[in-house]
Amino acid sequence: MLKTTKDIEDMTKAELLEHLNETVRPEEGSVPAYVLADPKVYELEHKKVFMKTWIFIGHESEIPNKNDYMLRDLAGYSIIVSRNADHSIRAFYNMCTHRGMKLCRADKGNKATFVCPYHGFNFKNNGDLIGVPLQKNIYGEELDKSTMGLKEVRIESYKGLLFGSWNDEVEPLDDFLGDFKWYLDILVGRAEMEVVGAPQRFVIHSNWKIGADNFVGDSYHTMMTHGSIAKLGMVPSATYSKMGYQIHSDHGHGLNLGTPNPDFAFPEELKNEFKANLSEEQYEVLSSLKNMIGNIFPHLSFLISHTKVKGQLISNTSVRLWRPIDADKMEVIAWFLVEKNAPEDWKRRSRESFVLTFSPSGIFEQDDTEVFTDITAAAKGHMPAMKGLTYNYTMGMHREPVEFVGPGVAYDDKFSEANQRNFYKYWLDLMNG
Amino acid sequence: MTVEKMLANYEFEQWLYKEAQLLDDIDFDGWFSLMHQSLIYQMPVRVNKEGTERPDYTADMYCFDDDIELLKLRVDRLKTDYAWAEIPPSRTRRFVSNVKLDEYVPEQKASVNSYLLLYRSRSTDIHHDLISGERKDEFTYENGQWKLSKRLFIVDQTTINTRNLAIFI
Repeated sequence: MLKTTKDIEDMTKAELLEHLNETVRPEEGSVPAYVLADPKVYELEHKKVFMKTWIFIGHESEIPNKNDYMLRDLAGYSIIVSRNADHSIRAFYNMCTHRGMKLCRADKGNKATFVCPYHGFNFKNNGDLIGVPLQKNIYGEELDKSTMGLKEVRIESYKGLLFGSWNDEVEPLDDFLGDFKWYLDILVGRAEMEVVGAPQRFVIHSNWKIGADNFVGDSYHTMMTHGSIAKLGMVPSATYSKMGYQIHSDHGHGLNLGTPNPDFAFPEELKNEFKANLSEEQYEVLSSLKNMIGNIFPHLSFLISHTKVKGQLISNTSVRLWRPIDADKMEVIAWFLVEKNAPEDWKRRSRESFVLTFSPSGIFEQDDTEVFTDITAAAKGHMPAMKGLTYNYTMGMHREPVEFVGPGVAYDDKFSEANQRNFYKYWLDLMNG
Repeated sequence: MTVEKMLANYEFEQWLYKEAQLLDDIDFDGWFSLMHQSLIYQMPVRVNKEGTERPDYTADMYCFDDDIELLKLRVDRLKTDYAWAEIPPSRTRRFVSNVKLDEYVPEQKASVNSYLLLYRSRSTDIHHDLISGERKDEFTYENGQWKLSKRLFIVDQTTINTRNLAIFI
């Protein structure tokens, strides 16, 4: 007999966790709708996922010079990420240690010191408090500036991708990414990559997990949601999106790797650079890559997309963060990356294809956001929890993994939900942590 | 200001009102016919700078970066049965104001600045979106008509508060 459950609103944290463990069943291919919109789940997620794991904060190429800085969000907290005089990158909480005012309000810039607008305390970009107006006069000899440095944030990077964490005990980034690094090498390690311009930013009334779910393994939706693209002749056919592999690794990471591709999707001129940066096996995968779409847990999605624009094939590479703002709201922050040594015309066309397909005006992106919004709206409120509404994640459960040249668990076409099950399994692990 | 320039200013005001009406009436073909073959249609990403340093938008990243061919693609796409972002179409209302004619060479070219406030409502969603910004337009005279040959739309938000730009600015 089914036991009557309480309103989630009235549950203690322990009861909510028990409820999650009973209802979130990724291994059986079932995830309840309420996890996409419930405020209490969102609150727990903030503590157990976003405060515990590595969160993407940007790309090293965004601050190439000494004293360059950028303002970023780390799990809801503003941080200053800056390149020091010794070229190391360090990050600090954007809060004056005297009275808590934000030190910096610009998206990015170049300066060695940050002056607080409240009382004029000033800090070097290595975090040290170096100046207090009228210090001797008002504090005498008593103020110990060395105890008042900015709160440093733990950061690590992999192939230019910068991650931060508030968790002092977080595992090394290298371990967290694990087997998935093999694929990230193809994404951002194949050549010297640089971010062009500022990231695109826009707000969607959607839970962040829908974006992660979509990129981690959902190539199935492209036939329908992106049917217009095939109609316009930008991709071979609506069913091309099935061809390739679905791959996931520990820690909830996953990707869909579209292959084969009769055309080389990257700048031909850089073949030697690609070969120098990749293993033979990775280069082989790159050479026949049609697209690569995936998600680094929890919410950094990435994409290599190869389409025909104005009669010419071109690829573009991007990463995007589904930054949670609320249970039903997120900011999408999307960075465009390109091979630094690519010909200028290739770079220009690659950016053009990114803006056309995966920016707020992108003709792929815009149809996704419409879907994300409506899914979130339908998951809200008491009814979906009360009636036990669930999503079906059973696709491909009957299938066995295949041998693949890269690491991780691979399936030999992309239409499976193994990656989403892997995502939710790790999500539930962290929620229990 | 000369009477000639006043009349021209009025003419461009009427052009922009007509454009707004066509878009709000979802007559995209009618709207597209107002474009010149040499069109550059851009919306740069706006950024927060430290002080009053200008421009405070990027010269190398855009939300729209179209020529006539790509704009045509967008218009054609909206006519497929799969353009979900606008099925059913948003209800939009474009308020155009502060129209100011700058450079003007009769029956040749003109540059016009204006403000745009765009209201967008979708389906039964009670949230509405407002997009505000400045248009820096350039016109070319062709076959007895003024055609839009360049639009630079400077949006007033650094994080755009609408689910997508499946609409035109």
